[in-house]
Amino acid sequence: MDNAINQTLPVEEETPWRLPSIRKVAMICLITTETALFTIFVVAYLFYIGKSLNGPYPYEVLHFPWWASAALFGSSGTIMIAEHYLKKGKHGLFNLWWFITIALGTYFLGFTAYEWYVLIYKEGLTISTNVFGSTFYSLVGLHASHVIVGLFLLTIILISSFRKKIDHEHHEHVEMISWYWHFVDAIWVVVLLVVYVLSMNY
Amino acid sequence: MAHDPHSHSDENSVELPTPTAWPLITAFGIFLLFFGLVTTVVISLLGLLCATIGGIGWFSDVFPHPKHEPFPIRPKDQWPQPISPEGRSVSHLHVGEHGHREQYPAAAHPYAAGFVGGILGALVMAAIACAWGVLVDKSIWYPINLLAAVGVPSLAAADVETLKVFSMVGLVVAVITHFTTAVLVGLLYTVILPMLPAKREWIWGGIIIPIIWTGLMWATLGLISPAMNAKIEWLPFLLSQLGFGLVCGLYVARSVRISTQRTWSVAARLGVEAQHPGEK
Amino acid sequence: MAHGTTTAPSEDFVITPVRPGEEKGTWSSWIQDLFFTVDHKKLGLMYIAVGLFFFVIAGLMAAAIRIQLAIPNNDFLHPDVYNRFFTMHGTAMVFLVGMPIIFGFANYLVPIMIGARDMAFPRMNAFGFWITFFSGILLYMSYFTAPSLYNAGSAPDVGWFAYSPLTAKAFSTGHSTDYWTLSILMGGIGSVATSINIIVTTICMRCKGMTLGRMPLFVWTWLVVAFLVVIAIPPLSACQIMLTLDRYLGATFFDTQAGGSAILWQHFFWIFGHPEVYILILPGFAIMNEVIPVFSRKPIFGYPVMVGATVMIAFISLGVWAHHMFTVGMTSLGNSFFAISTMLVAVPTGIKLFNWIGTMYGGKIRFELPMMFSIGFLFQFLIAGLTGVMLAVAPFDWQLHDSYFVVAHFHYVLIGGLLYAIFAGIYHWYPKAFGRLMDKKLGLWHFWLFTIGFHLTFFPQHIAGFWGMPRRIYTYEAGRGWEEMNLISSVGVVFQAIGILLFVVNLLYSLKKGKVAGDDPWDAWTLEWATTSPPADYNFEKEPVVRSRRPLWDLKHPKDPDWKYE
Repeated sequence: MDNAINQTLPVEEETPWRLPSIRKVAMICLITTETALFTIFVVAYLFYIGKSLNGPYPYEVLHFPWWASAALFGSSGTIMIAEHYLKKGKHGLFNLWWFITIALGTYFLGFTAYEWYVLIYKEGLTISTNVFGSTFYSLVGLHASHVIVGLFLLTIILISSFRKKIDHEHHEHVEMISWYWHFVDAIWVVVLLVVYVLSMNY
Repeated sequence: MAHDPHSHSDENSVELPTPTAWPLITAFGIFLLFFGLVTTVVISLLGLLCATIGGIGWFSDVFPHPKHEPFPIRPKDQWPQPISPEGRSVSHLHVGEHGHREQYPAAAHPYAAGFVGGILGALVMAAIACAWGVLVDKSIWYPINLLAAVGVPSLAAADVETLKVFSMVGLVVAVITHFTTAVLVGLLYTVILPMLPAKREWIWGGIIIPIIWTGLMWATLGLISPAMNAKIEWLPFLLSQLGFGLVCGLYVARSVRISTQRTWSVAARLGVEAQHPGEK
Repeated sequence: MAHGTTTAPSEDFVITPVRPGEEKGTWSSWIQDLFFTVDHKKLGLMYIAVGLFFFVIAGLMAAAIRIQLAIPNNDFLHPDVYNRFFTMHGTAMVFLVGMPIIFGFANYLVPIMIGARDMAFPRMNAFGFWITFFSGILLYMSYFTAPSLYNAGSAPDVGWFAYSPLTAKAFSTGHSTDYWTLSILMGGIGSVATSINIIVTTICMRCKGMTLGRMPLFVWTWLVVAFLVVIAIPPLSACQIMLTLDRYLGATFFDTQAGGSAILWQHFFWIFGHPEVYILILPGFAIMNEVIPVFSRKPIFGYPVMVGATVMIAFISLGVWAHHMFTVGMTSLGNSFFAISTMLVAVPTGIKLFNWIGTMYGGKIRFELPMMFSIGFLFQFLIAGLTGVMLAVAPFDWQLHDSYFVVAHFHYVLIGGLLYAIFAGIYHWYPKAFGRLMDKKLGLWHFWLFTIGFHLTFFPQHIAGFWGMPRRIYTYEAGRGWEEMNLISSVGVVFQAIGILLFVVNLLYSLKKGKVAGDDPWDAWTLEWATTSPPADYNFEKEPVVRSRRPLWDLKHPKDPDWKYE
């Protein structure tokens, strides 16, 4: 007695039955939901541009973050190079470029920390100062928290790689983390545009 | 799970994920973290610790490989009952049988023709209306604002002089309304025209439908847009409708009909998934 | 829970590594089964059990509200207590009853229906359940811990959509509102995690031959719902984060005195809030899609159109939120847009109703309990939809906004629609989950008592609304013409309560005493009926292969299989 559902159908083992990768679909869903989350914060920021009742205002305290942005955008490139070497099996070069990616991300995070330090202690802008403060810290903070999560994931991969735990079946894991990192980068493009370009004159 | 290289499935067992308490502990940690926010910060710290431990435990469950264990398959006498064929059969109704009509068009015009026809018709219609506006009402903006008045309350309340002045909102709303409607009608033409009982499709699309449409508008416009009803001139309205109908109808009617694929499967029609080799 | 059939393996089979305390039949094994499980069927049943538990609690709160309103100038509930009751009732019914129960159904059925052994991420599934469960605990903890530690406030009392500035620190001292915010933030994590899981499972775990065009409509609808959750919950989480920042760190998002905007809260909340209505009702549609064909003995009418209509509902629902805000003073253009887009939702919804009727038309309808509730659903949801279109007309809404007409409308949606679908689903799949049919006599009593009670309670509220009775008042004066309607409304609750009591009794009674169901009691066609009742932990001995939308039909009618026609 065969299983009931198989009884009349000759199962053709050769029939190709391919389904999408679980991790890729999950990562796309995660990125979608995160995008929705960021959208609301971006909308809040745009809505409150120029509506602060008291200073400090964006044009007084914000400076376009050239170096930090360059570092973050550059890290998207270095992570792709690292991936390339992983696929070729050159683990030493993978580690190197992966480490450079982490270093660039850390530099970016350090910049955010410094920027916030100056804003809070020198310029006197806190989250409760005005609506600019509220929206600025929540939007940039949300992005920074994603950078932290990204760095955490990158570090786990680097440690695993040093301990020679990364083998062939983990390539997709690595690729997914790089997708996430690219997403964090893409969000920064939007944040940069909204915070450091559009609101500069208010 | 059968594609998992670390699977140990065999005849007598199935791989199932190992039961674990780590997700529960992580969730409880997050609960304490939040609960601390409404009570005291010590509980939050405890929650953070708990969630971290849970997260590490969880990670150890899935890295380097998600944990599985073999689960024994039941003895065969506990398997589901085999499904036996039912004696009753089903009779199917086929198209054309017992005088049942075939109601859908077996062939229709391509949507692209409807789209382009709609745009072309819209341009002609706009040209006629605007020409009348310039020649008779001495303002090109008058017909545009009048159309927009259906959706823009401020224009609906405006007097004739205001309607003759350029309005950005009016222009945008009118353009969107005009072209959306025109394209929709054009798309509708591609499907409807082949179903109408005549050889010459363009007579239907070009003349009869615009006249019916104008009559319908004449009867109901007072309810839809009183402002427009009070100011509209029906002669140019009919002329522009006919202009649209003739251009769009002719364009659609001249395009080559294609099969509607009504007999194909949905998957095949969408082109998304191939069928199994064993299937017809 | 569902662990009836797993028997001790015979000697020649691989022995499961038994962990200490996991010997079958002991208390410790029972607890481990409950707390450690990553099985989608157990988690599904746990979701539904938690949902029903909170349903009883929130239902009792509603009963207390109706007692208070039964007669004018009543003082059964203190005004403050009344505010807490309607807040907790609304919040619990949406987030702790509706969401867990629909997720329970999805958890139990989606993997079996697509022929998979479990969800794509079984551990995340367990996490989603537990965090939803704890979010409910956190919300109800407010009754106990909010007053005892700070002696300020109790449960939240700001209404289920918590409009600003009611939630501002100045107007809501203590932590009562924080319980609400944090609980919803927590529940949101669980909902999104589970929904991602459902999407991934549906897309990546289908058995051989289960193409997208052959998926049961239940699974299709759930794919759309899960996607809607993934898009719509983040706005809720975002505005809860902003509110938390406002309340804890003094941010000024919703503080009008510091340049913030209270209206922005309304926009953000309803950007989530309206899709949420469809997140709740679409799973009801999903159940209808499975129940109606089986009991009409006909395949579903217009399968591709049903899929299209579901996608369209989800899409349009993302652009209708501000119809909750016609009275805040938007521009006329805004009002027109949201009125039209709201009416547009009626089109795909109407398509669905007609397709269900088309399925029933000419079919051999069997009036079993699931079908009774489905027919009730069709009638009541139609009324709900029609009052919805009425409210979509902005000037009409100006008259009836925040009146009992609105209350009647959404209770027809959520009780007359969703709850009836849930009942239909429970009567339909109970035999699959527990191996025994639910008692039909008790079920019929439940159906008629509940239906009579439901209409008695909520139909008069339409009229009370027309006569000007506002929502959320804790009492009213005599002589305004609302007495009769409110009394009838409250009498209806008695019928409903007895109905629910019989339902709970039936659930427990049938567990041991119900008629043995067998694998396929309803002569149905989807894969879950191809395995035993209850299914083994691994669902199927061999992974199934399907060739049509109704795999079991193909097996039962080898001479006339569906795949010849698809």
